[in-house]
Amino acid sequence: MKALAIAGANLTRMGRDRLGLFFVVLLPIILVLYLGLQYGSSFSPKIGVHAEVPGVLGDQLIAGFGEIEPEAWGVVRFADEAALRDAVERGAVDAGLALPDRYDERVRAGETVEVEFLSPAGKVGIGIQETVRGIVAEQAARVRAARFAAAETGGSVGDQLAAVAEIEPTLPDLSVSTETAGSEIFPRELLGFALGAQSQLILFVFITSLTGATQLILTRTLGVSRRMLSTPTSSATILLGEALGRFGVAMIQALIIVIASALAFGVAWGDPLGTAAVVIAFSLVGAGAAMLIGAVASNPEQAGAIGLVGGLGFAAVGGCMVPPEVFPPIMQTISHFTPHAWAIDALRALAVHDANLFGVLPQVGVLAAFAAVLLGLATWRLRAALAG
Amino acid sequence: MTMPASGASPVLEARDLQKRFGDRVAVDGVGFTIAPGETYGLLGPNGAGKTTTISMICGILARDGGTVSVAGQPVDVGTPAAKATIGYVPQDLAIYPDLTARENLSFFARLYGLKRTDAKARIDDVLEVVGLADRAGDRTDQYSGGMKRRLNIAIGLLHRPQLLVLDEPTVGVDPQSRNAILESVEALGREGMAILYTTHYMEEAERLCHRVGIIDTGKIRAEGTRRELVAMVGQRDKVKLSATGDLGAAAQTLAREPGVADATANENGLELIVDDARGLLPRLLQAAADAGLTVSTVEVVEPDLEAVFLHLTGRALRD
Repeated sequence: MKALAIAGANLTRMGRDRLGLFFVVLLPIILVLYLGLQYGSSFSPKIGVHAEVPGVLGDQLIAGFGEIEPEAWGVVRFADEAALRDAVERGAVDAGLALPDRYDERVRAGETVEVEFLSPAGKVGIGIQETVRGIVAEQAARVRAARFAAAETGGSVGDQLAAVAEIEPTLPDLSVSTETAGSEIFPRELLGFALGAQSQLILFVFITSLTGATQLILTRTLGVSRRMLSTPTSSATILLGEALGRFGVAMIQALIIVIASALAFGVAWGDPLGTAAVVIAFSLVGAGAAMLIGAVASNPEQAGAIGLVGGLGFAAVGGCMVPPEVFPPIMQTISHFTPHAWAIDALRALAVHDANLFGVLPQVGVLAAFAAVLLGLATWRLRAALAG
Repeated sequence: MTMPASGASPVLEARDLQKRFGDRVAVDGVGFTIAPGETYGLLGPNGAGKTTTISMICGILARDGGTVSVAGQPVDVGTPAAKATIGYVPQDLAIYPDLTARENLSFFARLYGLKRTDAKARIDDVLEVVGLADRAGDRTDQYSGGMKRRLNIAIGLLHRPQLLVLDEPTVGVDPQSRNAILESVEALGREGMAILYTTHYMEEAERLCHRVGIIDTGKIRAEGTRRELVAMVGQRDKVKLSATGDLGAAAQTLAREPGVADATANENGLELIVDDARGLLPRLLQAAADAGLTVSTVEVVEPDLEAVFLHLTGRALRD
């Protein structure tokens, strides 16, 4: 089929263009890796601990870090306090906790004992500090209870500590439950890299498509389009081939981002058919936009500039740079004048709300309408350009 | 130059072609025919309407009036099938610079509808014809201007067209490549291909073309063989003989020879005005010898198309 030959030539040429390859293949992978490493896994701090003869209470305190929900902290033990300070300063651990000598013995003896919290210079580390304070306070509460019991009933603090440990699970607890009023702005499923992957997909597919318009302009200005028209090939076939070429580039880009993010960081894109429909529809939008720029721009430099500014502008308004969920209502309305917002809506629905293909058909329909308008305008302009 | 077979049906028939761009009339009533094996030159300065004319002939540009048929099939923008009979070599280097010559040829072979196996053989053939077989695997942005021009021509030959349309194929090439291109065109003409060749190089038209149409401001001003065109404007050949002997008597003798319009003696010899210098030359030399002259050199000055163009349009070809 002649249209496929034209599309194939476009893809071959893209493969020869090192700058184009960088933007289509390498840059998205680099960004996927970067964002994935930044946000791809939940944060689990490492705490350094120094304790000279910690005893049972010291060990219990340290063991508390391994029981933090939802993810246990890593604990690194240091033989001396200087090594711990050094590790905190160098950032080898996120914070440090130094227990005094004979911690267990001194607590049981009823002494007031201070533990030292070390945080790296220049970092507040409030979250870490509060968690450590909570673990220490929990043990302190048990110790106070044991001391009170020892004072009231006689016996040693150590014996009463054992009694506290025994009856603690049976005592009524004071618990705080957290609940989100209304729908969550960023559902838990969307945290981590999923948010970034969706935005990157939309942003890159569009920008790459637009910058691909330069190839179309070269084809026109070199006279290859006119020459194609001198062969037994209809102008409709030529335009279809050019559009398929742009669509192919957009799809390659999209597949790279979807596959790389899913394989490397476990990003769940949701229903495969629904995702495919959104990706195909948005790639058609990108192809249409590229064809239109290729038809109206007079040289590759102009097309490159329009592509970059247009690509970034639409991405910003459409919610690829700042999540659309934080937009004020008026901005959310404006953003839906871009295809980007509809595509992100659909991807969110697939990934978060378990929507399937039918659930995203409205968004896919809007994207298809965008594509049809853009391709229609581009075809009209290119036909005129081809006819000279 | 081998003359085309007379009486054969024309490969190209273009009649009364019209094209306007806004208020400007680009082509106004242009028409001509080309027979099999004939090379027809469309000679005119830049902006004369050559490219617009051939764009309409090749079905690239919609015409406002007139008809075109190639090998009996009407050609228009909306008739892709008829374009299979035409090989178009545009003035622009219409090739992808980031593909190799073979990839460019393979791409256009598919657009011309050649089957894969046929295409491979044809690509090898045309690469040989234009002398690029050894560089077929190189990207064309590494080619010289002449090599690109030759590839440009090769693409137009892929599908064995009945009519080859060459739009100023030697613009910007070095003399060696130019000669190679002209030789290729001559060879294609000898093989029976009808060729439409546009140029503003008078020497190329004189060397290649059996007939020439002189086009200016969108109209064919005159058409015919070089000799016919020259005769049309009343120009004759000049023969200069450097000779010794009785120059005055010899001049009177030679002036009486058929085909000789005038003969004058000067201090170095004789100057004759004749209708067909090349045809008459043996007889003239014999007559000079018979008149007792010793001829040392002969110079033939033929009026060229440049002079014809100047006569017809009042301006030089490269203005």
